[in-house]
Amino acid sequence: MSSHRSLNPSRHEAVAERILLVIAGLFVVVNLAALNILRGVGSQDWTPILVWIAAAAGGHLVLERRLPNHDPLLFPLVMMLSGFGIAVIDRLAPVFADRQAAWLLLSTAALVFSAAWPTVLRLLRDYRYLLFFGGLGLLLASFVFGVNPSGQPGAPTLWLGAFGLYFQPAEILKIVLVAFLASYLAEQFPLLSSARANRALEGSFLSPRLIGPVLLMWGICLLVLIWQRDLGAALVFFLVFLLLLYAASGRLLVLVAGGVLIVAAGVLAYSTFPVVTQRVDIWIDPWSRAEGSAYQIVQSLIAVSAGGAFGQGIGQGSPAYVPVVHSDAVYAAVAEEWGLLGAAFIVLMLLVLVARGLRVGIRLTDRPFSALLSTGLTLVIGVQSLLILGGVMRLIPLTGITLPFVSYGGSSLLVSFVMVGVLLRLSAEDPYAI
Amino acid sequence: MDAELILFGLRVASAVLIVVFACVIGWLLVRELRAAAAEHQVQRRSFGSLVVMFDVDSKMVPTGKRFPLLPTTSLGRSPTNTIPVDDNFASSVHATITRRSDQWWLEDRRSRNGTTLNGIPVEKPAIITHGDIIGIGKMRYMIELMEN
Repeated sequence: MSSHRSLNPSRHEAVAERILLVIAGLFVVVNLAALNILRGVGSQDWTPILVWIAAAAGGHLVLERRLPNHDPLLFPLVMMLSGFGIAVIDRLAPVFADRQAAWLLLSTAALVFSAAWPTVLRLLRDYRYLLFFGGLGLLLASFVFGVNPSGQPGAPTLWLGAFGLYFQPAEILKIVLVAFLASYLAEQFPLLSSARANRALEGSFLSPRLIGPVLLMWGICLLVLIWQRDLGAALVFFLVFLLLLYAASGRLLVLVAGGVLIVAAGVLAYSTFPVVTQRVDIWIDPWSRAEGSAYQIVQSLIAVSAGGAFGQGIGQGSPAYVPVVHSDAVYAAVAEEWGLLGAAFIVLMLLVLVARGLRVGIRLTDRPFSALLSTGLTLVIGVQSLLILGGVMRLIPLTGITLPFVSYGGSSLLVSFVMVGVLLRLSAEDPYAI
Repeated sequence: MDAELILFGLRVASAVLIVVFACVIGWLLVRELRAAAAEHQVQRRSFGSLVVMFDVDSKMVPTGKRFPLLPTTSLGRSPTNTIPVDDNFASSVHATITRRSDQWWLEDRRSRNGTTLNGIPVEKPAIITHGDIIGIGKMRYMIELMEN
C-alpha cells in the first residue's frame, strides 16, 4: 500500500492544496463582499480580492508544475493568513489596501521564485558572509539615515526610504541572519554533536568558536535596542538565535544561559532605557494610564472583549479606536470583528505553520545546513507571532513588531513569504537522496 | 433590512468557512500521521530488530531495548548513526549492517577496537543470521530477523 502511495504521492496533495485554497478564497470573497455592501454603491473596491485570487491561482499552478513534492499545507496556510490580512487592512485602512495587494502580488512571486528555483537557497548558502555583512550594513545605514514613513517626530526611525518606497532593514536581516547562523552552526555541527555524545567534553562546548557568536548576537541585539529603540526586533533576533543554538547542540545549558542573559539584559534595560521602562510599566498596570501611555493596549483589550465569541462582523465593529491597528495591533481588530473564533483560528493556523516548518527541519536532520535553516526560518515566524500576539493580549509587554502575513507592511510580508518559499523548497527535498 | 440579512448571512458563511478550513487542515494532518504510522509498521515488520543484550555471569540477557533493523544500519558513537552506541570503545562510525540479495552482512568500518560476531573478531564482511550476537566495546546486540 505504501509503495503504491509513493509512486504518485503528489496527486492527493495537489488536490488537498487546491481544496484549501478554494476555501480560503471563498472566505476572502465573503468578507470583502460584506465590506463592499457596507460601503454602498460608488465606493466599492474589488481589486484586493482579484489580486488575491491571481496570486493564489498563479502560485498554486507554478508550484504544482515546478515543485510537485512540496508540503501541501504551507502555501494554503500562508494564503489564508494573508487573505485574512487583506480583508482586515481593506476594512481598517482602505487607502492602504491596494498598496498591500500590490505587495501581496510581489511577495507571492518572490515565494514562488524562491520555492521553484534553487537561486535563493543557493544565494543564502554560498554568499552568507556577503549577505550578512550587507544586511548589517543596511541596518547601520538605517541608524544614520533612518526615517519613519508616518513622519511623526520622535517615532522610531526603522525605515530606509527611496523613491517613495520604504522598507525596514531589520526585516531583511532576519532571513540573512538565520541563513548565516544556520551555515555557521552547520559547520560547527561535528564539534557540537561530539560535545553532546561525550559529556566529558564539557570544555569544548565553551570554546570561543561557539561562545563567540553568542556574544556577537547579543551585541547586535543590544545595538538595535540602544540605537533604534526597536525592542521587538532585538528580542526576535536573540530568541531565534538562542533556540537555533539549542536545536543545533541539544544542550539545555544553552537555554539556561540565554535565559540568564535575557533577564540580565531586561533588568538592565528596564533601568536604563525609558522605552523599556514604559513598556513594562504599561504591561503591569495599564488601567491607571488608560488615557495616556497605555491608550493602545487598553483600547485593544476593549476591542478584544467587544468581539465576543463570534465577533461583530467585518466592518461592523469599531476597532479604529486602537492606534496603529492595521499594523502592530491587527490582532485586536481580528478579535473584535471575527471574535474568539477568528482569533483562535489565527493562532491555530500559525501553530500548524510552525509545526510544518519544524517538520521540514526534522526530515532533513542528515543535512545540518538545510535542517537548521528551515528550523531558524520557522522560529522567526513563530517567535514573532508569539511576541506580538502575547503583547496585544497583555500576556507579555507589548513590542512593536508585525504579525506575520496578517499585518500591513510590505517588507514584513515580502520577507515572510520568501521565508516560506525557502521552506517549501526544502520540504520538497528528498532526505534519502545522496 | 434586506442588506442586514445578507450581511448576517455573510458573517455566518465567513465563520463556517473558517471552521471548514481548520477541519480540512486537521483531517489532512491526521491522514498523514496515519500514513506515517502505517509505513513505520511496515518497515518494522518486514525486517527485524537488534536487541541490546546484557552480560550477566557470561549469560546473555536482553535489556529490553531494541532498534529496528534497516536495509542499511550503521552503528557507532556519533549520534548520526541509525544505532548510536554509547560506549567509549566505539568509533564514530564503527560497523554497518547491510542487506544484499536477501542476506544480511556485517562489516567492520575499520574501527579502532574492532567488532566481534559471536565473540570472534570480524575481519572481512560476514553473513549474519537470526540469533547472532554483535559486539562493539562492551555493548552486545542480538539479531532478531522476522520471517515473511
